[in-house]
Amino acid sequence: MLGKLLKYEIPAMGRKLVPLYAAWAATALFLGLATQSSDSKTEFMVVISALLYTAVATAIFVMTIILIVQRYSNSLLGDEAYFNHVLPVSVTAHIGNKAISATLWIFVTVLVAILTGILIAIGATIVSSDVGFIELIRDLISVQIDWPEHIGIYIIEVLLMVVAGVVKTIMQIYAAITIGHQAQNRTTLASIGAYIAIMVFESTVGRMLLPLFDKLITFDADSFQNFSRIAIIAIIAAAAFSVIYFFICKYLMEKRLNLN
Amino acid sequence: MARIEINHVTKQFGSLTALDSVALKLEKGQIVGLLGPNGSGKTTLIKILNGLLQPTAGNVTINGMEPGVGTKRVVAYLPDRNALPDYMTSSQLMDIYQDFFEDFDRQKAEAMVDDLGIDRSQTMKKMSKGTKEKLQLCLVMARQAEVYLLDEPIGGVDPATRDYILRTIISNYNEDAVVIISTHLIADVESVLDDVVFIKEGRVVLHKAADEIREEKGESVDKLFREVFKC
Repeated sequence: MLGKLLKYEIPAMGRKLVPLYAAWAATALFLGLATQSSDSKTEFMVVISALLYTAVATAIFVMTIILIVQRYSNSLLGDEAYFNHVLPVSVTAHIGNKAISATLWIFVTVLVAILTGILIAIGATIVSSDVGFIELIRDLISVQIDWPEHIGIYIIEVLLMVVAGVVKTIMQIYAAITIGHQAQNRTTLASIGAYIAIMVFESTVGRMLLPLFDKLITFDADSFQNFSRIAIIAIIAAAAFSVIYFFICKYLMEKRLNLN
Repeated sequence: MARIEINHVTKQFGSLTALDSVALKLEKGQIVGLLGPNGSGKTTLIKILNGLLQPTAGNVTINGMEPGVGTKRVVAYLPDRNALPDYMTSSQLMDIYQDFFEDFDRQKAEAMVDDLGIDRSQTMKKMSKGTKEKLQLCLVMARQAEVYLLDEPIGGVDPATRDYILRTIISNYNEDAVVIISTHLIADVESVLDDVVFIKEGRVVLHKAADEIREEKGESVDKLFREVFKC
C-alpha cells in the first residue's frame, strides 16, 4: 500500500514544485547570460537577474517547507483526512509515505540548486569566445586532484548524515503538528509550542550525550577515525530521534485521532 | 454477531457530551436512518465508526473488529464535507478508488458520473458544491461494500438529484450490506428506510423498524420525528 500512496503523493508535491524549478532554471540561465558582458547596461542586468535568481531560490526553499507541512496537516489531520484515513492503509504507511515524499523533494530541490549553478556557468560561457563551457568542463576534469585516503567512505558518511538529518527534521515537524492537533482549538499555536518543546528535548538529550563524544574523540586516533566516529554517532542519534517522533505520530493517530 | 455493534459509546468534547452511552446493534440487509436534528450526535457516531474520532468510553465493532485497516476494507464512507483532493479530476479520483478498494466497480462509477452529467476531466476545484457531493456519492456507492455510512447524502443537492441518489442507494443495496443514512431531511428518505434510529442530545431515544412505527403510531416517521424533536 505504501507504493500506491507514493504514486499519488509524489506528483501531488511535484505539481507545485516543478513549475517553480523551471522558473528557477530560466533565471539561472538569464543570470549567466547577463554576466557575459561588462558594460554599464549589462551590469544593471546582472544585478536584476541576480536578485531575481535569489528571490526564486528563496521562494522555492520556503515553498518546499510549506508544502511539507501542508501535505501532512491537510492530508492526515485536515479535511482530506476524512478520505485518507478511511483508505485501508495503516497509519505507519501514511506517515512513511509523507516522510519519503518530503525527503525526496528536499533532495530534488538541492539537486536543482546544483543544476542552476551549472546553468549559470553555461549561460556565462555559451556565447563567450574566450572560454567555452565544454572546454571549462574538460579543464576541470584534467585537473589532477590529490584525493585524500578513504574519500569514498567520507562521502558516504556525509551523505548518510545529511539524509538522517533531513529525515529527523521532517519527523520533528510531523510530531509537532500531530501533538498540536491534540488541542481542540488553536492547533497552529499548539504545534509551534510542541515544536519548541521538541527542540528543548533534543538539546537536553544532546547535552547529556556530549561526554560520550569526548570519550570517543581521541587525540591518538587520526582525523579520519575521529570524523567517522562523530558521523556514526550523529547518524544513530538522528535515526533514534526519527524513530521516537515516528512513534509519537503513530500513537496519536491510532489512539488519539480526533478529526473535528 | 451483528454487522455493527455500538457498545455504550460516550464521546465528550471538553465539557460537552456529544454522545451519551449509545448502544445499538445493526444487522446486515437493512437501510437504517440515523435521524436527529443538527448537533444531536449523528456525525460524531459515524466518525467513531470510521475511526476518525475515538470514543471517551465504550467501543464499536464492525464484523467483530474495532475500526482499523480490516474494517476500512469493507466500509464505504460518505463524509459531510468535501474530503477529496481538489486538484484531481473525477477520472483520477476513480483511479485512486480502483487502486485502494478491491470492491470498487469502475464501470458502475463511470455510468453514475455520466448519468449525473459530471465532466470526467474537470478538477474538483472547478466543480460546484453540489457536483462535488454528487461525485463523492458516486465513488462511495460504486463500491460493493458491506457497510455504507452516508453522512447527510442529500443535504446539499437539488430535489431531482435527491431522487437519483435515493434510487442509487436502493439499487446498490444488497442483502449482505447495511446502509446507514444520517440526515434530518426525513420526508425525503423515509420511503427507503427499513430501520429508524432517533438520536437526541447524544442519546438514542428510539430504535424501531419503520413499518412498526407506521403501524403502532399510525403516522409517518417524518410526523413522529417532528413530534419527538418539537422545539
